[in-house]
Amino acid sequence: MKTKKIVSVALAALMVTSAVAACNGGKPGAGEIKEFSSFFAATATTTITDDNEIQAIIAEKVGARCKETWLTGGDAGEAIGTLMASGQYPDFINGGDASKQLYDAGALVAWDEYIDKYPNIKEFYSDYDWDQFRQEDGHIYWMNPFDQIYGQDMTTEHSAEAFWIQCRVLEWDNYPTITTMDEYFDLIERYNAANPTTPEGAANIPYTILCEDWRYFCLENAPQFLDGYPNDGSVIVDVDTEQIVDYNTTPTARVYFQKLNEEYHNGIVDPESFTQTYDEYISKLSSGRVLGFIDQWWDFAYTINDVFKSNDTEQYGYNYVPLPVTIDGRDNQWNTPGGQLNVSSGIAITTSCKDVEGAFKFINDLLDQEILDLRNWGVKDVDYCVDENGLYYRTDAQVAQCADSNYKSTHLCGYSYFPNWSGTSRDGINAMTPGQQPSLFRATLPQSVVDCFDAYGVDTYVEMLHSVDNSGVWFPMWSYSNNMNTSTPGGTAWTRMGECKHQWLPEVVMSDDFDATWDAYMAAYAETEPELFLAEMQEELDRRIQNYNDFLASQS
Amino acid sequence: MANYTSASPMLGNKLSRSQHIRKEAPKQIFLLVSSALLIIYGIVFYYIPLVGWLTAFQNYQPAKGIFGSEWIGFAKFKFLFDDKTFWQDLRNTIAMGVINLVLSFVTAIGFALLLNEVRSMLAKRFIQTISYMPHFLSMIIVTAIVHDALSSEGAVNELLMSLKWVDQAIPFFSIKGYFWWIVAFTNIWKETGWNAIIYLAAITSIDPSLYEAADIDGAGRFQKMWYITLPSLKPTIIILLIINVGNVLNAGFELQYILGNDVIRSVSDTIDIYVLRWGIKQFDFSLGTAAGIFKSAVSIILVVLSNQVSKWAGEEKLF
Repeated sequence: MKTKKIVSVALAALMVTSAVAACNGGKPGAGEIKEFSSFFAATATTTITDDNEIQAIIAEKVGARCKETWLTGGDAGEAIGTLMASGQYPDFINGGDASKQLYDAGALVAWDEYIDKYPNIKEFYSDYDWDQFRQEDGHIYWMNPFDQIYGQDMTTEHSAEAFWIQCRVLEWDNYPTITTMDEYFDLIERYNAANPTTPEGAANIPYTILCEDWRYFCLENAPQFLDGYPNDGSVIVDVDTEQIVDYNTTPTARVYFQKLNEEYHNGIVDPESFTQTYDEYISKLSSGRVLGFIDQWWDFAYTINDVFKSNDTEQYGYNYVPLPVTIDGRDNQWNTPGGQLNVSSGIAITTSCKDVEGAFKFINDLLDQEILDLRNWGVKDVDYCVDENGLYYRTDAQVAQCADSNYKSTHLCGYSYFPNWSGTSRDGINAMTPGQQPSLFRATLPQSVVDCFDAYGVDTYVEMLHSVDNSGVWFPMWSYSNNMNTSTPGGTAWTRMGECKHQWLPEVVMSDDFDATWDAYMAAYAETEPELFLAEMQEELDRRIQNYNDFLASQS
Repeated sequence: MANYTSASPMLGNKLSRSQHIRKEAPKQIFLLVSSALLIIYGIVFYYIPLVGWLTAFQNYQPAKGIFGSEWIGFAKFKFLFDDKTFWQDLRNTIAMGVINLVLSFVTAIGFALLLNEVRSMLAKRFIQTISYMPHFLSMIIVTAIVHDALSSEGAVNELLMSLKWVDQAIPFFSIKGYFWWIVAFTNIWKETGWNAIIYLAAITSIDPSLYEAADIDGAGRFQKMWYITLPSLKPTIIILLIINVGNVLNAGFELQYILGNDVIRSVSDTIDIYVLRWGIKQFDFSLGTAAGIFKSAVSIILVVLSNQVSKWAGEEKLF
């Protein structure tokens, strides 16, 4: 009895001390390494282990480290909603689509008085761009960590959405010119008829559609691209009239879904499209069986390209390249160059953080060139070498090592959701990231992709698309709609539209009577009152144009 | 003996109430303190959180708190009752709840009866242990097993195809008619062994002389089950039924959320998922609370009703 009591008292004491210790994050004594906590409302491409080597080197140099935690299921709204309900936040947070709610909840620290103190942070955006981050109360609460270009734009990868196709398919047809959706599906059909299996002998999956939860953009938003518009995400903006257009109801949308319906009945569209999970989808792509699909590059390529490399299956031409597909071969804007400013979300510091200055210093330090090289390239002579001209390069062994998933989590430390530059390095000759280093990019490409680029006479993924750039000052409109929720009539309509599309689009594709199902879908869609949503988007569009005109006026 | 029962010992000792407390309290100090703790626990964790129900009648904003948010009366309830999706999700919840309730009772009682007839003690223990193991698996693992087993290249389809019952894999998760039964089957697989334990315990307390009498009367195994075991289990069954009727609306969250997909959403979403989609994901905590209150109210009504029905029928009752 007595021992039991002692044990329980001891346990209780232990819990209290550990709870107190846990609250002390980010408040160390002198000379110690500060520990920050963080949550990013995104799925990790790589999870860094606690004893990660480069993380330790960076911690040594800047006196702080950050433990990263990620979304492991569900979406940003759920995770942030749950955090808000608890009222406890990590030091750093990227709320993704739910960033606005963190601001509304008063969970974030305003940046205004800190920006000028930290030159690397201030340098990240122009004054005009910083102003776009201001919330209704006039303060800045976060910065977007991505897509800022230092020096020259050296983009090689098309890191956005496209119709992707395997190199083996293009090679089989002697690299044909594909510019329309019909040509794209026709090619896939012909290839699959001639080669029903992969070189390894597994049955092909000609075309699959990822449709899980928020990732259903792979199914739903193609009509905007097919009509030659850029990824405004939720709407099309007619450049001439500056009017919002709903891409869900355009004639192109109908043609696109009818095509999918036909191909579904032809056995080209994967029958598991609408029930597969993201993991199942990725494992399908990794097997090399899928010939084509629509997705965002960042949603699949970082994972599966490394799988192809480490499984030694690149030789079969499994790697994917994008095609400039539109409804009738018109100019496309699948790629929008120059880094896009996403003001809707970014890295923020919460009111739970006990060392706000330290947190800003940490972000600032991570943008020093020396630390950037560690984050992007790794350790000199271990992960990359420098030639006599000062150019960085990687040997074949280093390339292979850096593609290894275990090495990525135990050695490399990108701090990928902290601000990071792309473009040219401050040394003026190298690229900020290995993926954009011209010599290295070419050297690490699989042979099948090199052959494909040579056949089409291009050097990069981006050039495959021949995109034109017509995007306006308002671009991208999704940075507004992503933050909408049921607190406004338009946001409620937006949520209902999403629910309606989630439910109906699979039915439309699978239906035996396309016309009747399409009409029923359009009727259900009209009931969600999309006009309320479009009206709020028009308001935002007008505001952005006005905002820009005001800025121009103030400059002259 | 008669003397002792006519007057309680307390009165017999002629102690006043306060004297009695003073005398008895030190002896029962452990009981008193622990029951006080229990009551405090109940107040802190069951009653104080009910203050949060106020948010259902507000346009609740976390920054302003419960006392600063704007009062909007029944607007959130109106939104709820005007929403077709809510009624559809309510239907799904009740359907899955009722199917689960009925099937889990039938299978658990049936399993307990059968297991009770197993002669070999070793076999009985072995079967019982194996059968309640799945109860301890987390729902995530269970759903992964089910999802794998029923996928187009999963065990079930392989079996059906090798038996030549079907020539193409059945897409189990894209046919609306299957979903409720998949959920029911998963629940049965997971919980039958565990649910049977309470019945097995009740069976052991049945007076063996009843069985001996039945033996003498020439009753067979099934007759003994039917005329002795089942009637003796009736009070247990009814009490558990009353308690579980209140859980019908808790038909589930994890299973439906993870196994469901866009194709079958109209039959897979439950009220809890509705709360997640429209309450938490949209930061409309008031709407989520309103749906929660509605659910609790319906559950209380269900428990009271079933209790009354049982009372009128002259059976066991909970209160």
